[in-house]
Amino acid sequence: MTYLKQQFDELLAYWPDENEALRSLRMEAFNHFNELGFPTKKWEEWQFTDFSEFKKNKYRLSWAKDLPNIPETIPGKIEGSDLVFIINGHYQSQISSMPDGVTIPSHLDVFEADDQIFSASQSGNPFKALNTAMMNSGIVISVAPNTLIKKPIQVVYLTTDLSDPLMNHPKFVFNVGENSQATIVEHYIGSTDQTYFVNPVSHVTVKANASFNHIRIQEENKSASHVATTEYDLEADSRLNAAHFSSGSKLFRHDIKLNFNDKGAEAKLNGLCLTESHQHHDQHVMVDHQNDACQSHQLFKYILADKSSGVFNGKVVVRENTKQTDADQSNKNLLLSPDALMNSNPQLEIYADDVKCAHGSTTGQIDPEALFYMRSRGISRPKATELIIGGFAKDVLDSISDENISDHINQKINNWLIGSQNNE
Amino acid sequence: MLTIKNLHAGVAEKEILKGLNLSVKPGELHAIMGRNGSGKSTLANVITGRDNYNVIEGSVTFNGIDLLDMSPEDRALAGIFMSFQYPVVIPGVNNTYFLRAALNAKLKHQGLKEINAADFMRFIREKLKLVDMDEKYLSRAVNDGFSGGEKKRNEILQMLTLEPILSILDETDSGLDIDALKIVAEGVNNFRNGKRAFLAITHYQRLLEYMQPDFIHVLIDGKIVKSGDKSLAFELEEKGYSWLES
Repeated sequence: MTYLKQQFDELLAYWPDENEALRSLRMEAFNHFNELGFPTKKWEEWQFTDFSEFKKNKYRLSWAKDLPNIPETIPGKIEGSDLVFIINGHYQSQISSMPDGVTIPSHLDVFEADDQIFSASQSGNPFKALNTAMMNSGIVISVAPNTLIKKPIQVVYLTTDLSDPLMNHPKFVFNVGENSQATIVEHYIGSTDQTYFVNPVSHVTVKANASFNHIRIQEENKSASHVATTEYDLEADSRLNAAHFSSGSKLFRHDIKLNFNDKGAEAKLNGLCLTESHQHHDQHVMVDHQNDACQSHQLFKYILADKSSGVFNGKVVVRENTKQTDADQSNKNLLLSPDALMNSNPQLEIYADDVKCAHGSTTGQIDPEALFYMRSRGISRPKATELIIGGFAKDVLDSISDENISDHINQKINNWLIGSQNNE
Repeated sequence: MLTIKNLHAGVAEKEILKGLNLSVKPGELHAIMGRNGSGKSTLANVITGRDNYNVIEGSVTFNGIDLLDMSPEDRALAGIFMSFQYPVVIPGVNNTYFLRAALNAKLKHQGLKEINAADFMRFIREKLKLVDMDEKYLSRAVNDGFSGGEKKRNEILQMLTLEPILSILDETDSGLDIDALKIVAEGVNNFRNGKRAFLAITHYQRLLEYMQPDFIHVLIDGKIVKSGDKSLAFELEEKGYSWLES
C-alpha cells in the first residue's frame, strides 16, 4: 500500500521529536501491518466483508490545515452531558468540559505507565496495527478512584467539510478507577459526502469494584468506512454496561474483545445495528472468561433494510479450571427486505465444568400476524411496521439507564424507521 | 349494515366458503355456529381483510360500500372490529401505546383531535374496570405474558376503546374459564345498543348462554344451511350438527 507508506513517512516527519519508545512502537506496528496486509476473503475471521476499497481509495491523514470552522451547534450533542469535541481528528479543548475527578492524561503518559495498552504486534488485526502505527488523534479519559461521575461524558468525533478522502486513526483510552462510576458516550458522526476512513481503537479498563457505562454510537456518513477495535479489561467485581449502536458508514467492522482479568466481574454487551441501501455491518465479539464467578450477557440485534448486509460473529470462551461462569449470548436479526442478508455465527468454547452458558441466534422477517393484528385496529401499515420494528429494538435501548442518552438514540431509531419506510 | 351475497372464498386454490349469504342490521347479534373447518374463521378473515384469503365470487358490502377492495386498516376505520381467536403477541410494543395509537388512528380518520397520553390514561382506566382487568397489563408489551383469559379481555378492551359499529367475536369463548367468560360476555352485553351489530363465531353454545343472539346460523361446508332464533342453539346442543348435513 504505497499511499499508506507515504502517509506514514509524512507522519514521522511531522513529529520529529516524538518519544523514541513510542516511535519504535509505531515502526513495529507498521511492519506488522505490512506483513499482514488488508484482510482478504481467505481470512476466516474476516471473510464476509469486502475490504478491497482500501486498495482502491487513497486516503491521507488529517493535518492541522484540515481543521474546519467549528459549528455553532455541536451535532449529536446530548443534553446533560459533558462534552469532549474532536473535529476531523483535532481535539477542541476550548469547547470541551470535564467534571471534577476526571483527568485527560497524554497518550505518552499512558504509554509510559502501561505500553501493553498500545501494543498491536500480536493481534493479527491489521487495522489495529495500522492504528498503532498511525495514531494521530483520540483522547485519554481517566476517572480517579472512589469517584462518582454523575453526568455522562460525551465524546463527539465529528468528520466534516472534506475536500478529499481523509483518514484518522484515533486511540481512545478510558480508565475508570477503583470503586468509581462513570458513563462515557463515544459518538462518531459524519457530515460530508466525501469518502473517508475512521479507524479507532478504544481501550477500556474498569478497575476493581468500579462500574462503567459505555455507549458507542456510530453515525458516520454513508460515504465512510469505519473499522474499529474495542477492548475491555475488567478487574475484580467490576461492572460494565456497554451498548453499541451503529447506523452509519457503508462499511463497518467492529472487533470487540472483553477480558475478565479477575474474579466476580459482570459485563453486559448490547448492540443494535440499523442498515439500509448497500451498507454492510460486521461485528466480531470475543468474551474471555479466564477467571471465576464472572458473568457476561450479550444481546446483539440487527435490523436490515434494502440490500444491506450484516455479520455477527460472537465467541464466548470459558477457560479451563474456572468456576461459576455465567455467560449468555443472543443474536436476533430482522430482515426488512428480501434482498437483505445476515450472517450469524454464535460460538461457545467451554473448557470448564462449573458453568451456566446459553447462546442462540434467530433471523426473521416482520411477523405478518402482528402486522395484520395492528392494521385490523386501524393502524396504517407504515405505522404498524414502525411500531413492530421499534418494539424489536426496545430491549437494547432499555439497557441504557441515562434518559437523555436513550431518548437521543430512540429519536435516531425513529428517524431511521421513518426514513427506511419512505425508501420502500 | 353488513350484506354478504353469494360469497365464494378460500385460501390459495382451496374454496372454503361456497355461496354464503348473510345480512346483519344495526343492533343485531348474529351467532355463526359450526364445526371446525366449516368456514367460520374464513368468514371472519374475509370480512376483516386478512392476506392470503381470496374471494372467488360474490360481494361483501358494509353500509353500502364494497369492503373487498379496502385495506384492513380502512375496514377498521370504517367501523369493523374483530376480537381475535388467537390474539397476537407483539414484543416490545407497549400495550397502552398500542391502544392509544389505534384510538388516535380512528380519531384522526374522523377529523377529530388526537388524545394525549394523560387524557388517554384516564379514559383507558375506566374501560379497564369494565373488563375487570388489572392495570399492570397496560404497561406490558401487547399480549406478552398474558394468559389466555387476559388476552381475550384485552381484545374486548380494544373493542370498548375503538367503539366499532360491527364487532366480530371469533371464538371469544375458547380458552376462557366460566368467570372470565361471564366478564367478557358482560362487557359485550353492556356495549350493545341499537346501532351496534355483532357477529359471534362459536363452536359451542356456551357463549350464547351469556349473550342474547337475535339470530343463529349454522355453517356447514361453507354455506349457511339453517338459520333460526336462540332455540336453534339448544336444538344443536341436543342433536349435534349431523341432522343438518345432507
